[in-house]
Amino acid sequence: MTDAAAVARRWRHLDKSVFVWLLLIALLLVLVINPLARLLWASFQHPETGAFTLENYAAAYGRWRYIEALINSLVVGLAAAVLCIVFGVPMAWAVSRTDMPGKGLVWAAVLGTFIMPNYLGAVAWILMAGPNAGRLNRAYSALTGAAAGPFNVYSMTGLVLVIACYSFPYMFVFTRSALDLISSEMEDAASTLGAGALRTTLRVTLPLALPAIMGAFIVEFLEAIALFGAPALIALPARFQVMTTMLWQMFEFPPRVQVAAAYSMPLLLITVFLFWLQYRLIARKGYVALTGKGGERRLVRLGPWRWVLLGYCLFVTSLSFFLPMLVVLQAAFARAWGRGFSLDNLTLRNIRFVLIDQPATRTATPNTFVYAAAASLIALGLALAIAYIVARRLVPFGRALTYVAMAPFVIPGIVLAIGFYAAYTSKPLVLYGTAWILILAFATRFLPIAYTNSDAALRSINPELEDAARILGGGRLLALRRVVGPLLRRGLAGAFILVFIPATRELSSAIFLYTTGTQVLSVLLFDKSDEGNFEVLSSMGLILVVVTVVLVLIGFRVVGRDFLLRRTAT
Amino acid sequence: MTSIRLFFLAVLSIVGVASTPAVAFDGEKALHEAAKKEKELTWYTAHYNSETAAALCQGFEKKYPGVKCNYVRTTAQVAYQRLAQDQKAGIAQASVISSTDQSHYTKMKQDGWLQSYRPKNLAELVDAFRSFNDPDDLFVATAAGLVLITYNTSVVAASEAPKKWTDLADPKWKGKVSIGHPGFSGYVGTWVVQMRKLYGWEYFKKLELNKPRIGRSINDTVTMLNAKESIVAAGPSATTLESKSKGNPLAVVYPEDGAILMVSASGILKNAPAPNAAKLLMEYLLSREGNEVMVQQHQDPVNKHVKPMAGGKSIAEVKTIRPTAAEIEKGIPEVKEQFRETFGI
Repeated sequence: MTDAAAVARRWRHLDKSVFVWLLLIALLLVLVINPLARLLWASFQHPETGAFTLENYAAAYGRWRYIEALINSLVVGLAAAVLCIVFGVPMAWAVSRTDMPGKGLVWAAVLGTFIMPNYLGAVAWILMAGPNAGRLNRAYSALTGAAAGPFNVYSMTGLVLVIACYSFPYMFVFTRSALDLISSEMEDAASTLGAGALRTTLRVTLPLALPAIMGAFIVEFLEAIALFGAPALIALPARFQVMTTMLWQMFEFPPRVQVAAAYSMPLLLITVFLFWLQYRLIARKGYVALTGKGGERRLVRLGPWRWVLLGYCLFVTSLSFFLPMLVVLQAAFARAWGRGFSLDNLTLRNIRFVLIDQPATRTATPNTFVYAAAASLIALGLALAIAYIVARRLVPFGRALTYVAMAPFVIPGIVLAIGFYAAYTSKPLVLYGTAWILILAFATRFLPIAYTNSDAALRSINPELEDAARILGGGRLLALRRVVGPLLRRGLAGAFILVFIPATRELSSAIFLYTTGTQVLSVLLFDKSDEGNFEVLSSMGLILVVVTVVLVLIGFRVVGRDFLLRRTAT
Repeated sequence: MTSIRLFFLAVLSIVGVASTPAVAFDGEKALHEAAKKEKELTWYTAHYNSETAAALCQGFEKKYPGVKCNYVRTTAQVAYQRLAQDQKAGIAQASVISSTDQSHYTKMKQDGWLQSYRPKNLAELVDAFRSFNDPDDLFVATAAGLVLITYNTSVVAASEAPKKWTDLADPKWKGKVSIGHPGFSGYVGTWVVQMRKLYGWEYFKKLELNKPRIGRSINDTVTMLNAKESIVAAGPSATTLESKSKGNPLAVVYPEDGAILMVSASGILKNAPAPNAAKLLMEYLLSREGNEVMVQQHQDPVNKHVKPMAGGKSIAEVKTIRPTAAEIEKGIPEVKEQFRETFGI
């Protein structure tokens, strides 16, 4: 046999899909590693000479104030993530597994919460829980006759509450997707062995959803420490700093990009630690819930408790959506919102200004949604492929790819933007000034959400389904197309929306990357937030929320109506 | 028919001239023609809010048809950061830059980013603002504003309102005062430098006893007052008066010890993709038409022939105070540190 024939034979037997994997891994490395490596390099660079130095680290950690801000961020992040579990998990369970009434309303309110930018929510919360004049405090005083109300948004607790309000939807959606896939057989087994409904839920159902809950916990934590909008509005007046407000000061004139890079580096270590922890905690247990054997999902009958649960869901969504939305609506349609609500104070002028007189909104609105959609597609495609490579162990050192895919989340958007800027203003890839730099930045920034979701979805599919296809002679790509794809379709539609929505309101990376023709709404909103013109700010926020809701509802239509109110999973 | 229309047009133009004497400057036509070939210009501005920037661009496009005006309105720090990015990447995006931070102009001049142009309309600039122009014509004053005392009229009676800066430290306003942060806002930075110059850092130690509510931008005070979260503030003239004109219960006090005068310049970039349109915009920002638009938006005019809006005083009638350029450049970094020491953020 000649060598050529041997090569040809090996080629014939080689799984061709390996090239697809290698290409996708290369893409991941370019998208994530390139900007991060530039950032890492900058953190060791002397600002003027460019020579290697440790001065940036000395400057970033040489002051107690800077370290204190880091500690504050960790406290806020942990507390907010815990609060997200308290908010999100019971709601997800209620919507997914019980006969609670009003599920459509609860789901719509969670969706509304998710769409609302946190900086808009923060302003609304200031008006509701400001210590001197907050509406909740005034209502409390009116009811009890007390001189002052108990609420103070300007505090660590206030910040944690506001952040949790606007990030718990991740927890809700992640947990719910997992719960939707768990068949009642497992619960039945527990019941047969004599466990009550509560015990079954706590010992069987929720533990099966643990990978999703932990994935969401990490996402919540990272989201909370990387936020800029809400802390700028609440932490500063409350007299404490967090990491992002500190970073902002490093970008003051003259900007100290190198110090900022050094300041954000240790967060990468924290992320790596969190994922290691997750891996350790769940590695040896099985969480496969979706098998080829089918299975039935029945709703838990709660009796009168279902009203208690509905009450809890409405309480949480009132905090996050209904009450803040009332404040925003009042301001958006007010001539002068400082006068409060009255008929002669109503006007459409603010909406008109935003839609018609302000040319920037007209270009920014389509930009926002086109960029978000493109970024979501890229992020999701890449994330799914990487998650598959890792889950099926198609390449050695697959787990390292997980860290790469999750890394962008921990780098605060403003810093990530600097890395992007450095990466895409010089050859070989000059993207600054084009829409692509924003699309790629959004795709990279939300890759972790896409990844966590894809990973959780894949984990729940038993590999034996694919194996069946392959035993019958199908290649891996065929198995993916005909077996895994259809099984994942719903989950992926949800994941798309989970990336699309934050991309429509993404601020921190957009602010340094847009140019005249590529403005997005979040940037316009942020510029409004320090103009003291709350009427117009609210109108723009309202338009962002309304357009996103309409698009998402159209999306649900396309995917299938039952996605909105999925009582039984397939 | 045609002659009647011409007659009406003539009458209209005379009436128009009578209300706003549109003074053409030398070479305006030629400049307009050259600008038309460039089609559009981009203007990075931190001088006003986006409504005012939009109104000025609209006015500019109306006066000079065929030249499109794109504004990018941000805070001064962001405007400078973007410009620095563009320069570093070798991208010519903006033609005109309008920052509110004096040190930006010093740095841009040093780095050779600006080109010189002496606007013909400079003759109409308010005399008091001339000292802010660059001797080499790299930048000229195009916007002015005041930092003054503001309050919510539904809670504070006019007679009760603070009259001078030291009144803000009166214990009766404890927990009710709103100010901005010098680390975010050039307006606040200048105010802090001036207060330190007048009363020493003791002023801020006393103010801290009142636990002021600290926002970012000076405009945040307007939101705080409207929400009644604070009821007195060290606020801006333009945004406060604009909010008041909508019917919000706000008022301004011109402090007895002086309102802080903020004058901000604009300049043309050396690598401007539309240099002629840029020159035309500089002329417009100094022109009577341009300043009338500013006044409609509650901005203080810089053209000496244009009167300010009712409800606000002309800067010439007000006692204004201001640190020198050198004091500002040296003082702002210092007071940022002191401010963080005293207020903890």
